[in-house]
Amino acid sequence: MIEEDLASFIESPVMQIVGTADEALKPEIGRGAGAWASADRRRVFLVLSAWQWPGTVANLKANGRVAVTFARPADYVSYQVKGAATLQSAVADEIDRSARYLAEMVSTLMRLGIPAEVIAPWLSNRDPFLVGIEVSDIFLQTPGAKAGTRLWSATV
Amino acid sequence: MTLSLFDLEACFEGVVPSIIATADGNGVPNISYLSHVAMVDSEHVALSNQFFGKTSANIRMNPQATLIAVDAGTGVQFRLELTFAYSLDAGPLFEHLSLQLDATSAQVGMAGIMRLRGLDVFRVLKIESVRATMEPERKASPQRDRLAAAARVVELIAAETDAEGIVDATLNGLKTWLGFEHGLFLELYDERRQLVTIGSLGYAASGIGSEVEIGDGVIGAAAASGSIVKVSDMSRVRRFNAAVRNSSSDENRTRSIVLPGMPDAMSQIAVPLAVAGRPRGALFFESRARLAFTREDETALSIIARHAALALAFSERTSEEAESDRRAQPASTATDRGIHVAHHRFDDSVFIDGTYVIKGVAGRLLAWMLEQHLANGRSEFTNREIRLDGGLRLPDFKDNLETRLLLLRRRLEEKSLPIRLLRLGRGRIALEAEGCVRLSREGI
Repeated sequence: MIEEDLASFIESPVMQIVGTADEALKPEIGRGAGAWASADRRRVFLVLSAWQWPGTVANLKANGRVAVTFARPADYVSYQVKGAATLQSAVADEIDRSARYLAEMVSTLMRLGIPAEVIAPWLSNRDPFLVGIEVSDIFLQTPGAKAGTRLWSATV
Repeated sequence: MTLSLFDLEACFEGVVPSIIATADGNGVPNISYLSHVAMVDSEHVALSNQFFGKTSANIRMNPQATLIAVDAGTGVQFRLELTFAYSLDAGPLFEHLSLQLDATSAQVGMAGIMRLRGLDVFRVLKIESVRATMEPERKASPQRDRLAAAARVVELIAAETDAEGIVDATLNGLKTWLGFEHGLFLELYDERRQLVTIGSLGYAASGIGSEVEIGDGVIGAAAASGSIVKVSDMSRVRRFNAAVRNSSSDENRTRSIVLPGMPDAMSQIAVPLAVAGRPRGALFFESRARLAFTREDETALSIIARHAALALAFSERTSEEAESDRRAQPASTATDRGIHVAHHRFDDSVFIDGTYVIKGVAGRLLAWMLEQHLANGRSEFTNREIRLDGGLRLPDFKDNLETRLLLLRRRLEEKSLPIRLLRLGRGRIALEAEGCVRLSREGI
């Protein structure tokens, strides 16, 4: 279950990095462009650019295994969510949500002193797909002694 | 175009975090940010392993990893396919990265938390850039030829014979040939375990005489470790000195001079000065630009710092043999005006008409010269006799009498005091007083 604090964290302007692997166990990286938790708090939805991250999309189609780390750039507070994903093209409402996230994220990073043109290459929702993740595990990932602590698991 | 690790230099500055993805034996992925990625050689990178337990475990079961590294200047993302090669927990590369991590994390209030436990070294199989919706602007600024610049600065240093000339040639040469506009030249005073500023470039208050404890901040860390320490983006860094940066009027109360600094610096670099394996001081530069100091700048600065340190050590040796007699011009400005000099023995601080001048050995030297002046009217001294005078209680000078005299001369000039030191030539100085000196010694 995704608790309320984590649900709001995921929806706030935090960086979203996506890990997958192909059938030969070769890992791949992508960046999310907006995320939120489902109403029943069992799933996470994430928008991802198939144009920028084709390897990630291919892996998600092939096996659905995914890990997403959400990290707040101001203080490095981070959580990692793992689970099984399904993939579909994003619809208008989801694309709007993604666009709002991108605008907020750019503002947040600019307030930390990073120029807009430096941020631009990282955040895209071109050719947007919606990744729906059935969450199996949640980990604390904030740098420090407790990094890697499992906060929740569907199997326990 | 085939990319090589050399094209990714700006990714390894620790400014924009890199991302690493791994997978366990069952194909379950793991994704994490990484604080430091360093280039080991043309085919290998080292990744800091502070607390990424899962990443470490995964690469030992499945050595494949993928890394996204970001050029901090342009934002361009690079995708690297890696295979785990070996781990390191000692050796020069480990020490160097460990030091960088300590210095930078101490400044963001995370001292100790980010301690480097080990480095995982990976072989790079493939590098490609990640496509972006907007092509980044290619910066067309011509690169300075750092090798030629280093040669010019070294020539300027080599042309000098005394400490003042060497210190100024180093700072001014770096300004002219490498474009560094704000910097300090600090000398190590062993007996105090402190670095003291003897040269200053570009600051409104020069900070000549200001002190840095060994091991403290970027400067102290460079001197303590003998390695370059660099910070390339201080936007999130809390500057611990900011609050104490005050007007110089406080000097009279605190008997310490404030270290100059830019409150809005984004990049800082400190380069150790060493001779024959012994630390002698540090050079420090800062800039308002992010990523102001490149790897080539580091190389040029190391060459220049070594020459400056050697030249200073050599000038100390030659200053023992005073140049042939050259009489000082009698001080034409002498008046009947009284000058009160107070010497506090507990810390050898000296005040002239209530203004703090200096403390420590330099203070003792000034008091000694004034005493000689008052006792027998002398106003000229040689380095040799200063070194030989047992009454001065000088520490084992380890060859830096010249720079202590330079420090003293600069402080007297900077505070526009009625007592001055003039350099008459190699190993010979004159004391000049614009009035009648009265010396009081306290705390005997």
